Amino acid sequence: MSKLAPAVILLVAIATAPASAHVTLEKRQAAVGSYYKAVFAVPHGCAGSATIKLRVQIPEGVIGIKPMPKPGWTLEMVKGKYATEYELHGSKLSEGVKEVVWSGGKLADDNFDEFVFSSYLTQSLKPDTTLYFPVVQECEQGVSRWIDVPAEGQAGHGEGSKTPAPGLKLIAKP
Amino acid sequence: MARALAALAALLSALCIASTAWAHATLVSSEPADGSVLAEPPKMVQLHFNEGVAPAVIGVIDAAGKARDVAARAVGQSVLIVLPDDLPQGTQIVSYRVVSQDGHPVAGSMVFSIGAVTGTAPPAKSGPLAILIWLARIGVYLGLFVGVGGAFFAAWIGQGLTAGSMISRGALVVGLFSAVASLGLQGLDLLNLPPAGLVTIAPWSAALATSLGPSLSIAIVAMAIALYAWADPGIGIARVLTALAITGVGLSLAASGHAATAPPQWLTRPSLFLHGVAVAYWIGALAPLAAMAHRRNDDLPRVLRQFSAIAIPLVGLLVLSGLPLSIVQLGSLSALTETSYGILLSIKLALVILLLALAVLNRFVATPAVVADYMNTRLLLRSVLSECVLVIGILAVVAGWRFTPPPRASIAPVVTPLSIHIHTDAAMFQVLVSPGRVGANDFVLQLMTGDAALLTAKEATLILSLPERGIEPMERRATLGPDDGYWHVRGVALPQPGRWRMRIEALVTDFQKVTLEDELPVQ
Repeated sequence: MSKLAPAVILLVAIATAPASAHVTLEKRQAAVGSYYKAVFAVPHGCAGSATIKLRVQIPEGVIGIKPMPKPGWTLEMVKGKYATEYELHGSKLSEGVKEVVWSGGKLADDNFDEFVFSSYLTQSLKPDTTLYFPVVQECEQGVSRWIDVPAEGQAGHGEGSKTPAPGLKLIAKP
Repeated sequence: MARALAALAALLSALCIASTAWAHATLVSSEPADGSVLAEPPKMVQLHFNEGVAPAVIGVIDAAGKARDVAARAVGQSVLIVLPDDLPQGTQIVSYRVVSQDGHPVAGSMVFSIGAVTGTAPPAKSGPLAILIWLARIGVYLGLFVGVGGAFFAAWIGQGLTAGSMISRGALVVGLFSAVASLGLQGLDLLNLPPAGLVTIAPWSAALATSLGPSLSIAIVAMAIALYAWADPGIGIARVLTALAITGVGLSLAASGHAATAPPQWLTRPSLFLHGVAVAYWIGALAPLAAMAHRRNDDLPRVLRQFSAIAIPLVGLLVLSGLPLSIVQLGSLSALTETSYGILLSIKLALVILLLALAVLNRFVATPAVVADYMNTRLLLRSVLSECVLVIGILAVVAGWRFTPPPRASIAPVVTPLSIHIHTDAAMFQVLVSPGRVGANDFVLQLMTGDAALLTAKEATLILSLPERGIEPMERRATLGPDDGYWHVRGVALPQPGRWRMRIEALVTDFQKVTLEDELPVQ
């Protein structure tokens, strides 16, 4: 029974989470200085059209990206320079994955799927802020850009945002 | 334990499957299409969404600016909105707020036009209202020219003569009533109200807010002063008052109308002022002269001499002030016969030439005859009466200009585009909206970075809403001009005046966009 308790809590958390019409992260809170498994939920296509490509931008301070291969989809990692050097397992990193792209598949509008990578949230990230992963969802017809990030100093998304970027609440390492 | 986990997994996956339906609805298409112009009013509007929706608030604001009650009903993935069958010509707005299956509200607006986009073509004015507006305008002219002009003539030339005073006073009373009526009718016309609307304040305040407001106010004051001057306050005071009043005639004309608002204003407004004063002087003299000629007044020779001495330079002034106005307004010679404004001007000019011919006859034949023998007034009387008839004709024609935009207006729109500068740390957008008024507007977006360098964008989107009228956001994609590097959105219907919210989203990279917002005051 004691093993079931966390699961029940998780279930409650999911059930009470706002019904999502957006591309979102499954787990919306994580500690800095720890590994984070990012699961992007894609609940629908672009205005009824099937999804054929998903691009996720990796924000600065998130390193050690390892995408989970997905049957039927081609995986691509766009690498680039970091703004500063990060340390992972004692080695210094000045460049790495800046964008993960899944393409070549087809996700119908009335299906649901998840796109996953594991990552490391460096200590350079500030606790008690929200980290955004902008996502571009390309469909057979049209594009949905889940890239809206609230302006500085504004909590949450402005009332107008129909396409918010998936966000992750950062907390201090326990 | 394993069973519990399996149940949990099943539940979770059920939730996941359920969540596929948790999607915001999107408007896929509509009938009539957004922004379309239709010849006939449609019976209904159909909004097609990508999934089933429930209508929450559906509003229609018609081209006259009235919010209309409509019945809306969801059928499958569409919302059907039954329109009233008396929609006016122009642009109508359908604003919708629907609830998608996930319970989230989704809002937006679409517009369609019947006949033409509001503001592009003034709706054809016809029927009794137009005739009343025209008659009231003639009444105002009679009051200003015959009334004020007559009072001026009596005080300055006639030296207190009361001949023709009944006509002048009558014209002043008619003019005062007509000026008030003119204001009310203009208001009815502006707001598209029935005559009963005159008992409300709305048409009056609407008309006062136009250039006709100050113009008619000045006219009313001028006519009231002239009427008081007739009440015999003494010749000195009467002269001062009538001089004031005749100045008011010029000011009133220069304050309003197509000609007064035409550029260059340093030329048109003073020209119109002089034209008005000169016309009032001339026309004002006609009734007293006719009355004196009829009665064979022995003072007539002196009065005629004095009048004629001023009349000749005055005719020059009339022509000189009228000529630049005609040239500015017409734009080209062919407009004289090809546009309704030009045709009215042609008729007016023909009548004026006849009038000038009669004036020459008066000056060189009739006046010398009267000066020689003050009883010999038959020719003068006939000629002055003919002048009166011509004057009425001219005023009737001039009052008709109210309904015809001058060719100048169609050649070069005088409106300066509305310019809006939005500046934040992130970016600087310069937005030109022309004409920046109700109707179809062209937007030019100049996108710059915060330090005024060119901002290269992949896409730019213009989003407009009018929260004060409950008009939900309308999105229009901009296209990059191949030559100028600016983003353009053409023919955006802004059907209602008000403080529109304008949001511009510039997609800088695939993952980043810059959004700036500002107010767009539309008149």
